[in-house]
Amino acid sequence: MFGYIVHRLLVMIPTLLAISLIVFIIIQLPPGDYLSTYMAELQAQGEAVDPQKLAYLREIYGLDRPAWQQYLYWVWGLLHGDMGYSFAYNLPVTQVVGDRLMLTFIVSFSTIMFTWIVAFPIGIYSATHQYSWSDYGLTFLGFVGLATPNFLLALVMLYFANTWFGISIGGLMDDRFIGTPWSLAKLGSVLAHLWIPVIVIGLSGTAGMIRRLRANLLDELQKQYVVTARAKGLSPFRTLMKYPLRMSLNPFISDIGTLLPHVISGSAIVSVVLSLPTTGPMLLDALRSQDMYLAGSFLMFLALLTVIGVFLSDLALAALDPRIRLGAGSVK
Amino acid sequence: MNRLLPTFTILLCLLTGGKAQALSYIETPSLAADVAAGKLPPVEQRIPSDPAIETGRPGQPGGELHVLISSARETRLLAIIGYARLMAYTPSYDLVPDMLESVDQKDERVFTLHLRPGHRWSDGEPFTAEDFRYWWDDVANNQQLAPTGPPVALLREGEKPKVEILDPLTVRYSWSQPMPTFLALLASPTPITIYRPAHYLKQFHVKYADKDKLAALVAAGHARNWAQLHNRMDNPIRNDNPDLPTLDPWVLKTAPPSERFVFERNPYYYRVDREGRQLPYIDRINAAVADSKIIPVKVGAGEVDLQSRYLRFDNYTFLKAGEARNSYRVRLWKTGYGSQLTLYPNLNVTDPVWRTLLRDVRFRRALSLAIDRHEINNVIYYGLALEGQNTMLPGSPLYDEADRKAWAQYDPAQAGKLLDEIGLTKRNGEGIRLLPDGRPLQIVVETAGTVAEESDVLELIRDTWREVGIKLFSKPLQIELMHNRIFSGETMMSIDRGLENGLANAEMSPAALAPTLQNDWQWPRWGQYYETHGMSGEAPDMPMATELMQLGHQWMNATDFEARRSLWRRMLAIHADRVLTIGLCAEVPQPVVVSDRLRNVPEQGIYNFDPGAFFGVYKPDRFWFVPEVPADQPS
Repeated sequence: MFGYIVHRLLVMIPTLLAISLIVFIIIQLPPGDYLSTYMAELQAQGEAVDPQKLAYLREIYGLDRPAWQQYLYWVWGLLHGDMGYSFAYNLPVTQVVGDRLMLTFIVSFSTIMFTWIVAFPIGIYSATHQYSWSDYGLTFLGFVGLATPNFLLALVMLYFANTWFGISIGGLMDDRFIGTPWSLAKLGSVLAHLWIPVIVIGLSGTAGMIRRLRANLLDELQKQYVVTARAKGLSPFRTLMKYPLRMSLNPFISDIGTLLPHVISGSAIVSVVLSLPTTGPMLLDALRSQDMYLAGSFLMFLALLTVIGVFLSDLALAALDPRIRLGAGSVK
Repeated sequence: MNRLLPTFTILLCLLTGGKAQALSYIETPSLAADVAAGKLPPVEQRIPSDPAIETGRPGQPGGELHVLISSARETRLLAIIGYARLMAYTPSYDLVPDMLESVDQKDERVFTLHLRPGHRWSDGEPFTAEDFRYWWDDVANNQQLAPTGPPVALLREGEKPKVEILDPLTVRYSWSQPMPTFLALLASPTPITIYRPAHYLKQFHVKYADKDKLAALVAAGHARNWAQLHNRMDNPIRNDNPDLPTLDPWVLKTAPPSERFVFERNPYYYRVDREGRQLPYIDRINAAVADSKIIPVKVGAGEVDLQSRYLRFDNYTFLKAGEARNSYRVRLWKTGYGSQLTLYPNLNVTDPVWRTLLRDVRFRRALSLAIDRHEINNVIYYGLALEGQNTMLPGSPLYDEADRKAWAQYDPAQAGKLLDEIGLTKRNGEGIRLLPDGRPLQIVVETAGTVAEESDVLELIRDTWREVGIKLFSKPLQIELMHNRIFSGETMMSIDRGLENGLANAEMSPAALAPTLQNDWQWPRWGQYYETHGMSGEAPDMPMATELMQLGHQWMNATDFEARRSLWRRMLAIHADRVLTIGLCAEVPQPVVVSDRLRNVPEQGIYNFDPGAFFGVYKPDRFWFVPEVPADQPS
């Protein structure tokens, strides 16, 4: 087992290097660089840009050097924990990301909690009452949740939250709390704003999870050990909890791998629509304006989380399910 | 400029007259506590001994103004609408001294600037001629801080001005030839700031700072060298350094990055009202960051006190619906663009067949005649816009109705006749005319694709062009990509805003009418040629273009008002007659949302960037809040 862990950890290094190269190439693919974006922005505001000044800035930012040099400079910095410098914000990347991470965590964890709390009972209920009217009804609701574009839902909910409950539009708290230290009133304001993004972001995930749980559980419920357990007189509820439900949990464990980066990046589009101060919109903005070190370092951070998440979920699966064993395939 | 001299004299009389009455100053309530505690000197010592006096109706100090911006970079907007400038435009676009006490000028070559005695930076340090010297000697002419030298706009055919410091309150700029644009440069919304807070910036300057301390600062700021650090700290236009002393009415207090920026009143501001209260009236500005797409919705929900940016004419009905519920009012201001949207035929397109055709004035006239502007106006702008070419607006003293109407009436028959005359008589099965080399006459109009308005307008033009046998395709592109395609000559036609300043007078530079900028999309390569002094691009090779260049040149050398006026008129006439750009509709209203409690915001205004600085010419330092919402009574 120890050898396996070391092996997996070592494999991460070339994986991450390959990802860094791909990330860098993709960021460089669109025409122009940050300065051409900057120029377009100035022009849109009616200002003229002196081409000589532009050349000077290009030199200051190191954008005149060949791409491979820029790449090496960036990777070398990353290895030393230096995430680079954001052109657009004129600040080191770590400072730019700063406060947003905390709020992103809050939104994402609330969303995951919402998803699980809603999806589990419904999923179990519709599996055990398959093809009943309530199953059809819940399934219908689930599909509606899956099919509604969530940015549209976000806009609709924003409008009604404002006209019915007087909650300020967008953002995660009232404007007066921004930049102030945490307090009970601030927490209250955050909670009042939180439910909209949580429902909007969580809805499609909830619907998906209901479907998966139902399908997994239905597979298990037909199996003989369930019949045996029932025949031995175990109460239906304990039977369900102790055997088939545990068996159908495997997909959720393996989901953890993709969950971690999702927690950090949030749902970019919904966050943009709702104007949430999370990291998603910032990443989108950085990619659009070709603020390459901000975007690059951010994507690398996500890649790192994915790699670690997959590793952790593999370990957890092995620990949870005795049927999954190392090297089992080769023995067969 | 001669026309302005009387204005100067009147203003001087007013100022001295005001001083004779010995205004007694009233302390600002929100600063009284600090004054009592000895943290701030009393108001008499904070304002210049000869302050600028606002003659309009006085208001009451206090209150917090909420606005929305779309990103942390937009803190620059506050420096624009604050509009504290050495010289400033009045709402009727006269150029007057503002922060300067007065200006003497000789032959438009020698400008002597007089500062107000006792004028101070926002940190209480005196604002003197040393700040001007520091910028000219140690910033603009420093090889490391400005490798390209002083801003090109300050050069007269490559010649640098002579800058003299006559005494602590007097600075002189002089050139050997007339430099009529100098004072206007100082009044721009993004001016050439010819002064800097020397006392603050010297700590970052290698010439003045202690070597070890500077090295530590550079390391702490992750800067490559001292010059980069200095430039980062010193950006009055970008307005993103809370430590940088300023002369603006409100001072940035929040360090980026943040989701909300607070600007506090500048206790050393140089203007007072006629009863002796120091301006600005409003204590604090609170600028929250929200995505630009959500801003209209937030404004409609009553979350701001004053907003115009990111509100578009198509938001008008939505905003109007929220008026009563959220106690604000939507005002419609006129915009100052020569044309809201304009088609730019690229005279420098690389395809030889298209180049010949686009350079043929008959072709451009035919394209213009085949557009139904009345339809566009009614369908897109509810008939509220002004139809016509991309030229001056009726509010400009240079306006001539004939320019706006030239080749702008909808006349498909005449358009067809012109196209036949050029020889585009053959048509394909679809009825589309054929180019001389047999290709169908298909015009691809490239748009930056960010607003629906552009594609809606193109959709209407497509229908009417189709009738005269021209096919139009619109192609939305990312803006950077579009720029590159235009500069390299791949684009045959593009659509964008028209002339930035449709309200010019003869004293303003007509450079935008001559091929001087790469960003003029009808002649990008000629503009590039001028901007790079012939290093790249192409020399203008059409007589019309060289004539425009010459006229622009003559304007710079002309010294009397009538000569300038006639040069402007000739350039405008060439534009109108040759249809260099195809204008559509102008004066499209700009919604401005104003809280019912906010006073002194004009009911009818002009929303323009340069000149105008958006709200700047209306001096937001005199906007004020009434404490209670009065029943149904707009200001």
